[in-house]
Parts: sequence; structure tokens; C-alpha cells
Amino acid sequence: MSNVSRRDFFKAGGLAGIAAGVAGLGIGSVLGVPEEAVAQTVTVTDFVYTCPVCGSKTTDYDSLVKHFEEAHPDASCGIPQCATLTINGNELKVQVEPQWTLRETLLRATDLHGGTKEMCDRGGCGSCTVLIDGVPALACTTLAVQCEGKVIETSEGIAADERYRPLVEAYAKADAAQCGYCTPGQFTVAKYIIEKYGEPTEEQIREELAGNICRCGTYSRHVQAITEAAAAMKGGN
Amino acid sequence: MKHFKHMQASSADEAANEAKNGTAWVMAGGTDLLGTLKDEIFPEYPECVIDLKTIPDMDGIAEEGDALRIGALAKLADVAESDLVKTHAAALAQAAGRVASPTIRHMGTLGGNICQMHRCWYFRVPDDRFHCKRKGGATCPARIGDNRYHSIFGDDNGCFASSSHDTAPALVALGATVVTTKREVPAEEFFGAHGHRSNVLEDGEVVKEFRVPKAAKSAFQKFALRKSIDFPVANCAVAQTADGATRVVLGGVHPAPWRSREAEEAVAGGVTADAAEAAGEAAVSVARPLGKNAYKVDIARTLVKRTLMDIAG
Repeated sequence: MSNVSRRDFFKAGGLAGIAAGVAGLGIGSVLGVPEEAVAQTVTVTDFVYTCPVCGSKTTDYDSLVKHFEEAHPDASCGIPQCATLTINGNELKVQVEPQWTLRETLLRATDLHGGTKEMCDRGGCGSCTVLIDGVPALACTTLAVQCEGKVIETSEGIAADERYRPLVEAYAKADAAQCGYCTPGQFTVAKYIIEKYGEPTEEQIREELAGNICRCGTYSRHVQAITEAAAAMKGGN
Repeated sequence: MKHFKHMQASSADEAANEAKNGTAWVMAGGTDLLGTLKDEIFPEYPECVIDLKTIPDMDGIAEEGDALRIGALAKLADVAESDLVKTHAAALAQAAGRVASPTIRHMGTLGGNICQMHRCWYFRVPDDRFHCKRKGGATCPARIGDNRYHSIFGDDNGCFASSSHDTAPALVALGATVVTTKREVPAEEFFGAHGHRSNVLEDGEVVKEFRVPKAAKSAFQKFALRKSIDFPVANCAVAQTADGATRVVLGGVHPAPWRSREAEEAVAGGVTADAAEAAGEAAVSVARPLGKNAYKVDIARTLVKRTLMDIAG
């Protein structure tokens, strides 16, 4: 689908029709699914390190460390390293500093800028929730270097997954995003809830979503959207 | 965050050895430590952060004779949902299930929960703007400042913070033992205000596992302003062994979990509705609230009563 814009994608969906297509666009943009974002995340094999201070490039890590220690002994950043992250099914080699959180890394080193939001940055709100090995985790309190070898899924990846199309549509239909800032986090947990419970009860949904704060108060709409999507996906399978 | 080096530990002893000079700090789930580093609440900053989560086989939950062995890296969600813990240490399962939010319980570990630093807002203020007693300052600002969430049972080494770990009172009530790389410490003696730490650990000491004796009955209750993602205003754990001896421990009311001998005496003859009420009164009979937290005395009294009623009969 790399050559298909989301607008065309939804129009071509047919079943949901134009109305759902437009609504889907809304939720898609809220969820931070930029056009071709998923397709742009390509695998790099020859990794080129860039000195974060002066911008000089090298492919050899040892010479980077040597250069960094000699040229920038008082630098306020850490010595970067290469981390191999599996994000939404794509294996990415990215240059990270050891103290970068996963959220920071998604923002700085990948083109997934939309989905993993920064809000409290202290693990108190759930806006930056991603799935790590299928389990919700807060990207703001996870170091990127800890994520090597783990499978990371962001809201962009889930929204682009054909299987989860009913969830996107249910979110649009239930108008579960008001201002939309917390929605990617809630949406990510929504996938986990559906995976874990199949057809979750309202109580289970509310309990699992308890770590995600929405200042617009859309909680009941999330319950509605997840319930409907779970039923639709169950029926579809 | 300011930069630090990152190291992945392969064993607890390796991590302890690396951390022994105090310039490397250990991290399990990171849900507490990374926040403190972002805020730079300490005058010191680590050169290196050692990731403990890469240590294999330190997250198990197993039965051994009349005790449970729980690895320090066991996730709070796993502790809360473990059938073994629910059956033999119900208070611990309930407490682990009330920590923070579901997402944080998937990340945070039992060892990390008991080692988290105090949630005093003077201690935690960014950039060390209140150089409090814990950081080498002269006084505890909470003594005359806004102390609505602080201790009602006096200070520990001059600090009036309140313990904010939910699992700590449960571990103390159950009579658990904390096994570190250096020694074995009864949970009752583990906690307190010691420098930056909320426990007696030294530099180069890492918690490895917990040994939790099985309890016939135990229960936990928490009072917080929000149901999720909140630290306790107060919490309470009670545990009863097969011979009927009951332990009553309050959290959130003192820098360390507060074992109430007064309450335990009140229910020594058995846990009944009247005894539980008397225990609540007895527990707070020795309370010394600060200027703004007398309301916590009422909460503590009721929590003791309600938690005891969970194991009554």
C-alpha cells in the first residue's frame, strides 16, 4: 500500500463507504498515520555513525568513540550507539544515545512522529504507550537501548494493520478521539485488550485502560469503540 | 535527561560489583529512576546506569516448603496475577495489583517497587531546589511546609516523608525476608529514610529475591485520591499465620512501613468486628500528625479496621 494514500485506501475500502473514509481519515491523522510513513521505514545495513556534536561521519564505532573522546571531551551528550529496533515489523538501525528514551528515539531517529505522544514524560499519563513484545509499555520511561531484540508496535503500525481496521473504524464511529492527544496511547492499549480478552467486558476494558488519562473525558467512547471492534473482529474471523 | 553510560548486567553480583563505588546506579523497570534523572532531583548524577532486567532467572515465582520465593525482577503484574501469590500471600497480590497503573505494573518489578525513592514533594522537587535533610541539608522542609501527604508517626533520621511503596506493608505484614547480594534482611528492618534511599541498601548491593512465608489469611487495602496511577495517601496490610498471630502494618504514614503493635494487641484474641474497630483506634492512638495531615489519622484508623475485617471470621 506504499503508493496508496490513506484517502484512496479508505475510498477503495468500499464497504465502509465515503463517510467512514472521511471519518477514518480523521482518526488516522489523529493516530499519527502519516502517508507512507510505514513504507518509509527502511532497513539500513551499512550503518553510518554521525557525531552528534560536529556532524562528522564514520562507519566504524571505535573511531567514533575515539573521535568523541578526543574532540568533544566536555560534550553535553552521550556517545551515540547503534540500536537495532524492530518497529511495526520493520527492522531499523538507528543512532541513539544511551539516555534516550524510546519516545525520544521514535521522535528523533525515526519518522514516526505522530503516534507516541509526549505529555507528562514521567509515566503518569499513558500518552506514549507502545506495545513492547505485545505488552503495553510507556515509551517515556523505557530506554531505547533496552528495546533491542524486542518487537515494538506503535499506534501507526496497528492502524496500518489490515486486521485492526475494524478498530480504527470503531474509533472513528464512536468519536473516541476528542482533542485526540491521548488517543494513540489508548488505541495501543485497545489492541492489547482485544488480543488478551477476545471479547472484553466493560469492566476489563476500563481496568486495562486505567493507565491512560484523557482530559476530554472520552473514556466511555473508548469502551464503546473497543467493544464494537472486538465484536466485529470476532465476527470477521 | 543528561547523558549516562548504559550497561546490561548479566548477573546480580556483576551489577553489585559495578555499582560499588556509587557512580553507577542500578535500574530495574526504570519507572522511578528515569523520572528522578529527568528531574535531576539529586545533586549527584550517575555516570552509568546498569540495567538489571537483562539478568536471567531473577523473575520467577515459586513455592519452596512453607514459603514463596519471588525473584526481585518479577513484574508487579505477574505477582498480582500469580495463583501461588494469590493463594498464599493474598495481601502481596492485592498490593501489587494496586500499584500505579496496569501499564506500569507490566514494566515495574517487585524489587523496584520496594526500592523506589520517597515521593515527598520536597525531596522530589526538580533541580534539588529544596536541599532537604536527605540530601545533606539542615532540616526537613515538610516539618513546617505543606505536609498534607507526610508522616503522621514522626520522623526517621529527621525525614518526615511517607513510604509510597504499596507492596512494602504487605511484605512486612507477611514477615518476608529480602535477600540481597550481601545479606538477608527481614522486610521489617529493610525500610527507612537513609540518604537517597528508602531502605538500608548500601552502594554495591542489589536485591535478588524475596522469601515470603505463607500466610493462612492476609489482606491489603489502599486509600488514594485516584483509583489508578496514584500513590497511597495511606495503605494497610494485615496477615494472620496459622496459629492466629496477626500482624498489622500501615504504609504511607511514616518514612518506613509502620507496624502497629498496638493494633496487633487489640486483635490478639481473634479478629472480630469489635476487635477490628478497637485495633483501628489503637493504631492511631500514638499518631503525631503534622500541621496539615490530621485527616490521615482518620483514614489510617478506618483502613486498619476495614483491612482487618477482610480477614475476620
